[in-house]
Amino acid sequence: MILLSYGTAIVLFVIGLCTLLFRRNLFKIVIALSLMEGGVLLLITSMGYIPGGVPPLLPLLGEQAVNPLPQSFTLTAIVIGASDIALALAYIIKIYHHYGTVDVDKIRGLRG
Amino acid sequence: MNPVFAVLLPLCTAFLIPLGFIFFRRALPLLVFSGGFFSALGAGAVAFLGWGGISTVMGGWAPELGIALKVDSLSACFLLLTSLGFPLALLSSAEEFGWHSWRFYVIFFLSWASTNGILVAGDIFNLFVFFEIFSVAAYLLVSFPASSWQAVEASFKYLIFGTLGALFILLGISYIFMATGQLNMALLQDFFPALPGPTLGVIAGCLLGGLLVKCGSAPAHFWLPDAHSSARAPVSALLSGVLVKAPLYALLRLGTLFFLSPLPRFFPLLLFFGTLSLGVGHLMAMQQEKIKRMLAYSTVAQIGTILLGLGCASSLGATASIYHVFTHMSSKMGLFLVAGVFLEDRHANSLGEMKGFLRHRPFFTIAFALLAASLAGIPPLSGFQSKWLLLLACVEKGYLIPALFLLGGTLISTAYYLKVLGAFCSPAEAPLPHRRPRPLVQGAVLFLVLLSLLLAVLPLLPGGKELLFSLPPEGMLP
Repeated sequence: MILLSYGTAIVLFVIGLCTLLFRRNLFKIVIALSLMEGGVLLLITSMGYIPGGVPPLLPLLGEQAVNPLPQSFTLTAIVIGASDIALALAYIIKIYHHYGTVDVDKIRGLRG
Repeated sequence: MNPVFAVLLPLCTAFLIPLGFIFFRRALPLLVFSGGFFSALGAGAVAFLGWGGISTVMGGWAPELGIALKVDSLSACFLLLTSLGFPLALLSSAEEFGWHSWRFYVIFFLSWASTNGILVAGDIFNLFVFFEIFSVAAYLLVSFPASSWQAVEASFKYLIFGTLGALFILLGISYIFMATGQLNMALLQDFFPALPGPTLGVIAGCLLGGLLVKCGSAPAHFWLPDAHSSARAPVSALLSGVLVKAPLYALLRLGTLFFLSPLPRFFPLLLFFGTLSLGVGHLMAMQQEKIKRMLAYSTVAQIGTILLGLGCASSLGATASIYHVFTHMSSKMGLFLVAGVFLEDRHANSLGEMKGFLRHRPFFTIAFALLAASLAGIPPLSGFQSKWLLLLACVEKGYLIPALFLLGGTLISTAYYLKVLGAFCSPAEAPLPHRRPRPLVQGAVLFLVLLSLLLAVLPLLPGGKELLFSLPPEGMLP
């Protein structure tokens, strides 16, 4: 079961990477970054899992809790990722106002 | 002294600036300059007192759980770099942007705090967090003020590449945590030799890929020329002089700590990417017609030069790299500041329009010539000394092709800097435009020229050579 979780994380990461490399739409590029981030965070969260563990909240409701450390990393990383995505979307609005398009191939102000 | 002051002072200044703007608008310059002064003083004090090594854990936790901070001679000399580079950029920005744009100073101090944070972080997750604050601040600095569309586009490109790099670093960190259950760098060092080969390879690949994208080495350098040439001049100087050195520090630190004995293949890869970006950077710089773009491509080449020293995996190589980091900081910051003065005077960017700059602003032209000569590696200036040490380090390990690339790069860079100087010195066709006095930028450039000259005589001073060779901490490298 935990292997399924690891596999999903890596598949998400690779889907994001392929989208980033092969799609030419700015919004799809940002979605790709978001997917990759989701993949890594899923990996981090699932590696703290202990079979039969309960949520790490006091008072504990079972014998053994899962590792709370990866979950706190995930919270930090979610905040960081959200600020990255928000900034990217703000830049897309600016770029759209100037070029009138979100196609990477038509935005060639800085080539050469 | 607790290393946290190097992060705390600029961070506090960043959050005091909006309050200062609202309640004591007249005192804003005083607040910004005194904040900058105390931040530089704090980081400098941490660097001097931490030369022999300090490590603390915040909040009284065990080293496995708490936020570990660590300073040794390697991070101390990079702290010295930030406490020289940031104040100079602050002075020039004050002249460039004035005091209406208080948001710029908030981002500036956040960037300062996070760079110092990268240098003192003692565990890899905090390294990642500081890297992200550093990156977001750098994207915002590039696109400031957001009215210029080139800057916004360059900043977006920087954001995409930077986030991609950050995700690879995060993936590498999560693999490390999965394999060892540890994040503290000093404790991790003992776990790495026991890891199986494929695991080590995956971790090294993720970290190397992420950090190379972040530092703008050759196969992933596309964001760097755009970002460094579209930003305003003081920001370009800061990006090229100081900020781009933070991922290089992380590469040196993590590479030597984790992969030195368990995975020696890591270092020839660094050497390969260094040689590649050295070649690509110099060849692309040769073809540029715009002065700031040329300087930005030259930064790609200089990153390659620094990576060569790291890739040698020897004490001599690391010493030469650190020396070159300082040489590049002093020269490239000065070159970008002079280019900014030129841009403001002429409202033009291309080499064809810069005639008569020698008669127009003699001080800046002479400073440009001196710094360019130093960066190209003309003896006896500081760039020559550091490139000579790098050559020795390459030859000592038997890496002849990188050494030849280094020599060829010197020739090409001499050619393109001579092209700029030729344009500066030829007589002007149009009447000279009105010139605004630039006392603060002039002072900063003068300081950088003096620093460059000081670096050139450093190995000749009594005790200078010993100081230089004590830069990589004892036992870090063979």
